[in-house]
Amino acid sequence: MAVMRYREALNQALREELTRDERVFLMGEDIGVFNGAYKVTAGLLDEFGEQRVRDTPISENTIVGMGVGAAMTGTRPVVELMTVNFSLLAMDQIVNHAAHIRYMFGGQVAVPLVVRMPQGAGHQLGPTHSHSFEALYLHVPGLLVAVPSTPADAKGLLKSAIRDDNPVIFIEHEYLYGQRGDVPDADDGDHLVPFGKAAVRREGSDVTLVGISRMALTASRAADVLAEQHDVSAEVIDPRTLRPLDLDTILASVRKTNRCVIVEEGWPHGGVGANLAALIQEQAFDWLDAPVGRVTGADVPMPYSKPLEQIAFPHEPQVVDAALATLRDV
Amino acid sequence: MPDVVMPRLSDSMEEGTILRWLVSSGDSVSRGDEIVEIETDKANMTYEADASGVFEIVASEGDTLPIGELIARIGDGAGTSDSGQAAEPAATAEPTAATEPAASAERATPAPSPSMPAVGERSAEPAPTGENGRVKASPIARRLARERGVDLAALTGSGPGGRIVKADVEAAPAEAPAAPATPHEVPGPVTAGERGGGKGETTVEELSRTQQTIARRMAESKATVPDFYVATEVDMAAAVAVREQLKALASDEHPAPSFNDFVVKAAALALREFPRANGAYKDGKFELYERVNVGVAVAAENALIVPTVFDADEKSLGEIALETRALAARVRAGQITPPEVSGGTFTVSNLGMFGVTEFTAIINGGQAGILTVGALRDVPVVVDGAVVPGRRMTLTLVSDHRILYGADAAQVLARIRALLESPLALAL
Repeated sequence: MAVMRYREALNQALREELTRDERVFLMGEDIGVFNGAYKVTAGLLDEFGEQRVRDTPISENTIVGMGVGAAMTGTRPVVELMTVNFSLLAMDQIVNHAAHIRYMFGGQVAVPLVVRMPQGAGHQLGPTHSHSFEALYLHVPGLLVAVPSTPADAKGLLKSAIRDDNPVIFIEHEYLYGQRGDVPDADDGDHLVPFGKAAVRREGSDVTLVGISRMALTASRAADVLAEQHDVSAEVIDPRTLRPLDLDTILASVRKTNRCVIVEEGWPHGGVGANLAALIQEQAFDWLDAPVGRVTGADVPMPYSKPLEQIAFPHEPQVVDAALATLRDV
Repeated sequence: MPDVVMPRLSDSMEEGTILRWLVSSGDSVSRGDEIVEIETDKANMTYEADASGVFEIVASEGDTLPIGELIARIGDGAGTSDSGQAAEPAATAEPTAATEPAASAERATPAPSPSMPAVGERSAEPAPTGENGRVKASPIARRLARERGVDLAALTGSGPGGRIVKADVEAAPAEAPAAPATPHEVPGPVTAGERGGGKGETTVEELSRTQQTIARRMAESKATVPDFYVATEVDMAAAVAVREQLKALASDEHPAPSFNDFVVKAAALALREFPRANGAYKDGKFELYERVNVGVAVAAENALIVPTVFDADEKSLGEIALETRALAARVRAGQITPPEVSGGTFTVSNLGMFGVTEFTAIINGGQAGILTVGALRDVPVVVDGAVVPGRRMTLTLVSDHRILYGADAAQVLARIRALLESPLALAL
């Protein structure tokens, strides 16, 4: 076990998988000579050479398309897109091809491709760099979607993603790159986090908080405030992957607490929380004491202005208020 | 208060006539009780209550009403329907009642639970009713209240907006002990938990697409076609003699026709003479087909396929023999293609090879009939007052009475028999 940053955990996952399996290789803008826009690929070009760590032009659809083709021929490419906003340029390759080729060809070919990208607000990068689009990718059958919130999960999920035969949208978070945490390293054996297994970050009895990506951390801090200032015991669940989704763990928690608030950074309409609220009311209606609550990003393009940006995505006070609203008049 | 409406008792039913009420207004009925006899376009049928409660007749005996028309009501025993509605707004006033199956199940108990307050008392309660008199309670609070026999209307909600939540129900004493929490189970010979319902372990097999299609089409045909059967015994002595000669002449390129091929050819010639046998009843009209295409039922693995001999009336016996062998081989090899199994205007089905002497079959959609062929049998027959050995085969014609009536079917069958009894006619 070692304490390291989220970006270092990702770097370690890539290094371990590049070493373990010669079919694994990396492509992306500035990932080689420049060590990556967020330094996730630092040192890998020197270690593994240009054949396996390839810098590409600014050409998102082509980067993903090359990854799809390479994956179909038996390699296991990991491509990096500089932000989730830029991944929209590659939507055709991601949705029409990566997600569907295995279906279209009756399982004759798989697309074991990982598309890594960071998302998230808070760095004054404006509406073209700061959004959260996990809901967009969750919408597409054929894609797996990972949203790790801790360094350990970042490492374990990325290693699992690379070994999975399905295309994986691997959504990192710009804010989380610098966060530290305990991460199993080589001494602890192969650290794999399975897809479809949620983490219960904190146990509680009064209300379930489901936090997506960075919002798992926000929900945990809100749970601290609820316990200290409001005598409310909140359970915090981090789904870690949205497809497959560990709905069983969430439903078990809701059956215990009878209340649920979903916290996400993305937009409210058609969001992860909207979908999850529908699933919860469909499958646990008779266990609810209150409507399923949602705390989401504001329904606006991300503002550039720092104060506006800060109130455009959730922080602890909004989560605390939403949790209390399921319990009493506030 | 559930309404009882004129049910749809058959696919083609549009209206029904109340023949006889089997219960009276004011009777208590339970779900599953027979309540009324209804005459449909096909049959007289009894109809059962799908809810429990006090019965109130709306339609009179002899009334003919369209599907969906109100014929009766089943109430909660509170008196008239109006007060019944006021008494149980939570269960019936909103579409969400459908998500509370336990509520209707609870009403299914023959005697009202003693823990339930008398109707009318509820509306006297001041507190936590929302609009329309609906008690504001969370889903889990409602479920717990049902299970424990707690009257929600007597509670004060501590949740947001005065909503009654789980904790409020848990804190409330049940008004009467030992109130039945779940509906009384009707004892039966087999309980739900018993393995396989007394049949041992049940293996569930998914249907193949072909099997799904067969299931759907057969059920459609049997449920909608008024079929009837006419049968005849055919003297096959002459046909046997002809076939012996053909067998002596046969080669791999020209196999001897089977008796089934004789039947296919004879049927095709008869169909040419009786256009309605080579047609179908469809949507109030007769459809008569130009070509005579005879389907030949072939058993395949887990399926029944009916490849088509097109223009069977114009083909020679030898051509039919070649073609049916090739089609059957393709069916068994799983190589048959959709065009080869469509376009049939009539069907011949033969189970004689299994020793079946006679049987009936289900008419294929878009056809007026199906001819079944039994085994060729050695039987004693009477000729000129003496018992002598004979060869007989039973043919059964199953017909759709909407297009082929009894005398028509008899004539078709008689013509087929005549052709088979003078088999050289098949060569003309």
